[in-house]
Formats: sequence, C-alpha cells, structure tokens
Amino acid sequence: MRYVRRIFLRLYKLFTNSKTEAELAREIAAHLALLEDEYLRQGMSPDDARLAARRAYGGVEQAKQLHRNERAFQGLGQILQDTRYTFRQLRKSPGFAVTAILMLALGIGATTAIFSIVEGVLLRPLPFPDPDRVVILGDVLEGSHCASCTHAHVTAPDIRNYMRDTQSFTHLGGYQGADFELSGTGNPVALNATRMSGEVFAALGVAPLMGRVFTQREDEQHQQVAVLSYSMWRSRFHGDATILGSKILLDRKPYTVVGVMPRNFEFPLKPGHVNHSELWVPLSLQPEEFTAGYAASWNFQMVGRLKPGITAEQAQSDAERVARETMRSYPAFMRSLRIHPVVTPLREDTVEQARPLVRTLLLAVIIVLLIACANLAGLLLVRSIRRRREIAVRLALGARAATLLRQAIVESMVLSIAGGGIGLALAAAALRVGVGLLPETLPRVREIGLDWPVMLFALGLGLLTGFLCGLAPAFAAIRTSVNEALKEGGRTGTPGSGHASLRSGLVVAEIAVALVLLTASGLLLRSFQKMRAVNIGFVPDHTLAALYDLPSQQYATQSAIDIFSEDLRRSLQELPGVEAVGITSLLPAAGNGFGIAFTIEGYIPPKGAGLNMAAMSQVLGDPFQALGIRLLRGRGFTESDKAGSQLVAIVNRKMAQRYWPGQDPIGKRLRRGMPETVTPWMTVVGEVDDVKLGPPDAETALQVYQPVTQTVASEGVFATAGELSASNGWIVLRSRVAPEQMENLLRATVQKIDQQLPLYQMQTMEHAISNSEAPRRFNTVLISSFAIAAVLLSVLGIYAVIAFSVALREQEIAVRIALGCQRSGVLVLILGSGVRLAAVGCGLGLLGAAAASRLLRSFLFDVSPFDPGVLALSAVVMLLLALAASALPARRASSTDPMLALRGE
Amino acid sequence: MSSKEKEPIQLLQGTLDLIVLRTLASMGPQHAYQIATRLQQISDRLLNLNQGTLYPALVRLEQYGWIKGTWGRTENNREAKYYEITKAGQKALGEETEKWRRMSALVERLLLEES
Repeated sequence: MRYVRRIFLRLYKLFTNSKTEAELAREIAAHLALLEDEYLRQGMSPDDARLAARRAYGGVEQAKQLHRNERAFQGLGQILQDTRYTFRQLRKSPGFAVTAILMLALGIGATTAIFSIVEGVLLRPLPFPDPDRVVILGDVLEGSHCASCTHAHVTAPDIRNYMRDTQSFTHLGGYQGADFELSGTGNPVALNATRMSGEVFAALGVAPLMGRVFTQREDEQHQQVAVLSYSMWRSRFHGDATILGSKILLDRKPYTVVGVMPRNFEFPLKPGHVNHSELWVPLSLQPEEFTAGYAASWNFQMVGRLKPGITAEQAQSDAERVARETMRSYPAFMRSLRIHPVVTPLREDTVEQARPLVRTLLLAVIIVLLIACANLAGLLLVRSIRRRREIAVRLALGARAATLLRQAIVESMVLSIAGGGIGLALAAAALRVGVGLLPETLPRVREIGLDWPVMLFALGLGLLTGFLCGLAPAFAAIRTSVNEALKEGGRTGTPGSGHASLRSGLVVAEIAVALVLLTASGLLLRSFQKMRAVNIGFVPDHTLAALYDLPSQQYATQSAIDIFSEDLRRSLQELPGVEAVGITSLLPAAGNGFGIAFTIEGYIPPKGAGLNMAAMSQVLGDPFQALGIRLLRGRGFTESDKAGSQLVAIVNRKMAQRYWPGQDPIGKRLRRGMPETVTPWMTVVGEVDDVKLGPPDAETALQVYQPVTQTVASEGVFATAGELSASNGWIVLRSRVAPEQMENLLRATVQKIDQQLPLYQMQTMEHAISNSEAPRRFNTVLISSFAIAAVLLSVLGIYAVIAFSVALREQEIAVRIALGCQRSGVLVLILGSGVRLAAVGCGLGLLGAAAASRLLRSFLFDVSPFDPGVLALSAVVMLLLALAASALPARRASSTDPMLALRGE
Repeated sequence: MSSKEKEPIQLLQGTLDLIVLRTLASMGPQHAYQIATRLQQISDRLLNLNQGTLYPALVRLEQYGWIKGTWGRTENNREAKYYEITKAGQKALGEETEKWRRMSALVERLLLEES
C-alpha cells in the first residue's frame, strides 16, 4: 500500500517541481540558519559560523539532488522536461507539427487497419481450446488435377472408416455444408447449415451457450435434433430463452432444438461474410450414401483433435494405413482410384489461401509508412539544420551529446505518438467502414477489429517510428561542429553538405519504394483490365438467376419433381417480357463446380495423365439461350432428349479441342467414370462456347452438359437405387426488361407452384460476375490507393528537399544571377537536381520491382511482372511528378533578386 | 587498533528510516537539525552523517505517510519545518522495530555460533 502511494507521489512530484524546489530551498536555508545560530552561540565569529554550518551540513547541491532523486522519478522528469521543451518548439511552428502528425497518422492508421486484418485473419489463434491440435483430415485423389479442391475432402465410407479405424485422434468426425428450408416460423427461408458428426463438437471442444450439443450416439441413431448458432437464435427466434426443446421444420421435417452455441462459435470457418453455418444437425449418413456414385463422391470433410503427443505426421501415417484398407475394399469401378490422406492443422487449412493477399497488403502499407517516416526524418533534419546555431551554442555552453540526442528523439516521439493516436482513430473509422468491403475470399472476417494486440501494435509502431525518425536529426545534431557552425556566423554559403547527402539519400529511397508500389499497382490495374476483357462465354445483361432446392419430404418421387420442373419452366416462359428460361445445375460465374471423371471413346491418355475431369452441368429448358452461350456446332437439347431416349451431351470448345483436336466432335461418344466403370455412352450432339464457371481470371474448365432427365441413366452402376434428379437447380431467366424488375415476378411464380419453397441467392448475372471479380478488385483498389499515397508522399519529399536546398543556396544563386547567369539556367540547375534524385530513385525502384516480382506474380493475370509498358510508364510518371515537384522551388530560385548578393553580407 | 574503532561507521540500508522514526516517536515533533543533532548525540559522533543526507530519508518517510512536516517557529523565532510521526508511522515503527530485533538477534546468534 505504502509503495503504491509512493509511486503516485513520485509521479505527482514531477509536475510540481518548482513548488517543491522552493520549499526545499526554504527548508535548507532554515536548517543552515539554525546551525549558524548554534555556532554563534559557541562563540564563533559570524563568518566562521556560516562556514562551519556549511561544513556540518555538507554539499547543499548534493543534498538537493539526493532529495530530487528520492522524491520523484528523475529519468521521467528529464523526459518530461524535454517534452515540455518540444511542445514549446512545436507551438512555434504549427505548420510543421500539423504536417508531420498528419503524415504519421495516415501512415500509422493505414498500417494499423491492415494489421488488424492480419491479426484477425492470420495471427489470432482459432477460437477453440488448444487450437493447434485441431486438424483437418482429407484425401488427395491421385491424378485428379482438381483446381477447386484446395481443401482435401472425403467420401461417406471414408468417414466411417477413418472414425472407426484411426487411433491418433481423441475425437474425429465428418461434416458437410447443407442448405435447409426453414419453415413453420413465419415465411419459409433458406438456411446455411452444416451436417456433422456428434464427434465434431467434441473435437472442437466448445461448450454450448444454452442447452447441449448432440452426441455421436444421436447422430448414429438418426435423431432429428438441431443446435442453433447465436446469431440465428437472436435474429430468427428473438433470443427466446425457451427455445430449447421446441420443434422447427427443416426441409419440412421436424427437428428438436437442443442447444444454442456461443456468439463467437463458427464452424466451418468459411471465408467471407455470408454463408456462415446458422445451425448444425447430425450428419446421420444415409444408407445410399455408402453405395455406388456416392461412395466415389468426395463431398465431405473431416475434422479431429489429435491425441496428446501425436503429431500431424503420425496421424497421417495412421490414416494412410486406414486408407489402404479402404482402397482394398473399393468396388470394381473404383479400382483404379488412389487416395492419399493428408492431415493439416485446421488453421493452415483456413488461412492458406488468404495468406499471400494479406501479406502483400501488409508489405504495401509498410512501404507507405516507411515513406512517411523518411519524410518526417527529412523534415526533422531540416529543422535541426535550421537550429544549427542554437545547437552549437548549447554545445559550446556544455550541453552533453546525450541530452541533445534525447531531446531530438523525444521531439520525434512526441510527434509520432500524437500521429499514432490519430492514426488509431483513423484505423477504427476505416475498419468500421471497410470490413464490409473485404472480399468473400477472406476467412474469419468477423474477428477483425481493434483489440488490444492491435492497439499495442499501433502504439509500438508510433514509438518505433518516432525513435527511427528521430535518429537522423539526432546524430546530425551531435555531429554539429561547434567551431564551424559559429564561425559561419551570418554567412549563409552552403552549410551542412553532409546532411544534404543524407536528405537526398532519404528522398532517393522514398522514390525507389514508391516506384515499387506504383509498378505493382500498374501491373494489377493492367491485370484487372485484362480480366475485364476476357471472353466469359455468356452474355450477362438482362439475366436473372436464383437457386431452388426441393425438399425430399414433399418431392419423394421423380414424377413429383418433374411435374414441378415442367410447371415452373412453362409458367416462367409465359411471363410477359421473358425471352428464354432454363434451369442448370452449375451457374456460370458462381464458381460452384467440381470435377467428374470421364472416359472418352478411343482416347488413349498419355502415361501419367491422371483422370479426365470435367465440370458437368445438368440442364433443363434452354439455359444456353437464357445465358447467351453460343452454340458453335451441332444442336442444343430438345424435348425429345428425355429419359428413355439416346443419351446425349454437349461439350464446350476446350473439351472438344482437348479430346478431338481438329475433328468435328459431333457424334463422338463419352461416358462417366473411369474405363473400368460400367456406364453407358453418351453421344455428343453439340459444341458450345467456353464459359467461365468461376471468376473471369480463373482457368476455363472442361465442360459437359447433359439433359437433367438423362442423369440417372447416364450414371449406370453409379446410380443409387431410387436416385432422384433435378431436385435442385439454378433458374436462369433472360428478359427484355431490366432483370431487377423480374425478381418479384419470379418469386411469385415459384410460390404459385409451391407456397413454401424459398429461392436462394437471387441475383442478376451482372451481379454474379461482379461478385466473382471482387477479390481482384479489392487487391487492385487497395494496392493502388497505397501506391497513390506513397507517390504523393515521396513527391512531397522531393519538394521539401529541393525547396530547402534552394532556400539555403539563395545567396549563391543571387551571386550567380548578379554575375550574369541566365534565369533559365538557374531553372535548369534546380530542376536538374530534382530530376537527378528522381532518376536514381527510379533506377533503384525498378530493381526493387524486379525483386518484388516473385511475390506479385500470383496476383497477376495475363501480365508479366516485367511488363515493359507498365514499368516504363510508372518510371515516367514518377519522373514527371518529380519534375513538377521541383518546378515550384526552381521558379522561386530563378526569380531571386540579384540585389540579395550585395545585401546579404 | 584504537584508531580503527574511532572510524565512523556506515549506516545499514534502511536503518536510517528506523532511527528517524524512533527519534520522532520518543521526542515529539522535531526539525531536521534537531534530528541530526540527536543522531550524533546517541551515536556518540560515530555516525558519518552530513546533515543534508537526512533529507532523502525524510522525503521518503513523508511519501510513505509515516511522518508529516509542518512549518513552525523555534524558540529563537527562527522558522523551521517540524516533522511529526503519524498514526501510520507509529504502527510502522512497531513493525519495523520488531523486524529489526529479529534480524539483529539472528545475526547475533550466527556470530556467536561461528566464533
């Protein structure tokens, strides 16, 4: 207690210094007087008495210093004094102070905002206890060069086998995203949900907020129970505390709500803002999921918790043993498939794809900050040069170098901490607005925000930048030669040439890094432009799309589904303003396709080529016309391509050129599965243009279309008994009016056929494309805005350096003009010095851009990182800006009055 | 040998606080000069103490809240700052004395056993 009291007092005393000093002096004087009295009383002369009193007392100054050390934190005291001094200095030059603080605020603010993304997405541990032991288990299918399979998946039999036979996990379970129709509480709505094993909750180790989670036993017994997410509980059930035990209808089947998860629980950790799982139901694998086609569908994922002491590698070899067993019991048609299980930490799996983007952003923003720092260092240097005489006088009077050093650093720290504070506020504002604009490819976006680590980061950044920026002027100050500085007297010659090269060095470095960013931004813009120019293979305007999914409870037979589809197609066709209607299982630009293996008649794959994978769309009606996909050869599907008739297919151009190069693909045959699979042949009846199923900058997939009515027949042994087709699909509608105007009409038409059926993800095709372009747009816009900031700052830097050197050389220029130098000559002289700096900086910057090319390459589309056009243009822009920045001081120099040469002395 | 005995001794760390407190407790409010004089009296001039070295101890004790200084007048009508022990100071003095006794007893015992 007494120590606490003392700490406060010692801090407090820092601020009441003059009062305490006066009091101390008074006390000492009183003490000495008493001593003197005593000696006088002993019979000394007054002079002797005074001396004796002093002797007895000891050194007055030493006593005072001891007192000071005891009563207050002296180190702090000096810094406080320096801070006061700095405030006085800054108040005298508010322009400088505001410029410096704002510059730093922008730099630190931007860096903090980006860092908060880095922290939320990459650095923060997953919100599960002991998160490093949570891993993903999945199969890599040999030879399936599947681009969309970045996360390893498993099949339903795999889930059973891995759960039963591995020994490396305390808990292991499978899961799969699922869409449900929620009804019974107001309007039917579409839900993002997850089917998962009871073991998954145990593996993640998160307790529910209310109620309980479901168990593995309930999962195996196919109990219809559901656990709600916090947000769903709040939004759809108004946080009703009595929700536990009540029934909800999912796909028109009753489920009992058994629990509500806490607010921060999220699983799977999907990227983006939408698509988060709103509720969890038991996986309860159906018997058919173990047979035929399902057994060869890698549609599930697995998550587990490693046993203590077991590494991911050990778990992987454990899983490999199980996988070998699984492959031994493969049915005949899967014999040629080879799987390799991989075990990766969940964190890796989650952030892997976001890492390059986030790192690049951080690098870009740090460059901006460095430039701001260099500028501030330059400004401080200029100030310290202006104060050379003052510093020299202080040195001459015995100021210690350490004191000057401390003062310089305190000055820049005061600026940087102020900048850091404002920067933090800017970052908070930017995050408030900006998180909503982050691309859907970024995971864990909900966790982004200003929290303690981020605040500490901003503060640390402020201190660090302050310290670094202070170093240059600090050393310039202590290197001041007293003699020279004082000798120079009123003469203004060209002092401080050593510092001039330091200042030039700073500016050259600034221009170099700014140019690296500028070229990066140029390359990204060029990529964006290239992406916009890509032929996406369909015509997006006037097209509306929406997804439906028929609940199996109501649509239990193929005829029920077919009646619905036919009804839907016909009523949509009859709507006023509709040009074409189609239903397709894969929507272009939505990026939701995965590969299916094909066997091509007469095609002998080169050795080691792996599986022939293609994206397969089942269509109904005329989606080709609705989407504006061009038919290149042959015919589209007609009414007569139905279940019982000859199996037909349409391929895209890429597919035709890959397997039948230089030939007409019409009449060629292909079938599903591997060569050993027994499936019927499908005859190619048409060839259509390549369509981008994902974003325009992604590779075009090999594509096959077939009438949805022929799906089951084409699957041969893959088909499960009683398998239904066409129970879901994307409606695509081409209209003469704006597609937004069709939205209500489409919704009304669907509800006329099925009152309860919700439509998911209704969007215009233009919107779908814009969504698919969003990640690239985000990179481009952000990097470009950093580049603009960097370039502006470095131009400011050039301006400051040139303007200052002109101010210093005023006298010299006046002499030159007086001696007959042309004003244009002066102009060229000054412009030349600016451009020279910029040219050196550009040279270095181009080297830097080359060095950064490796990092950048993965973000570019169809553009080389050494694209000469972009590199040259960036350099020229930089040089022109440098020229413009030096033009102002150059003009001022050229209009110097020659009379100055005479008056100056 | 005798010259060695006469050599002033250094105060142990922390003992000055105790001595000052004790002095104030037994003699009532005192100013710094009186405290210093008193110290020299009881130590038989063996303490090597410049009077100014008292000040840190005084400021420390004051910041602990154990003593309190007020300006007053001496009998010769000189002004002086009188220090007075507080309630907390009385309590602390008891504790510190106890601590010191235990400490010195321990050292004494050790020295006896060693010799």
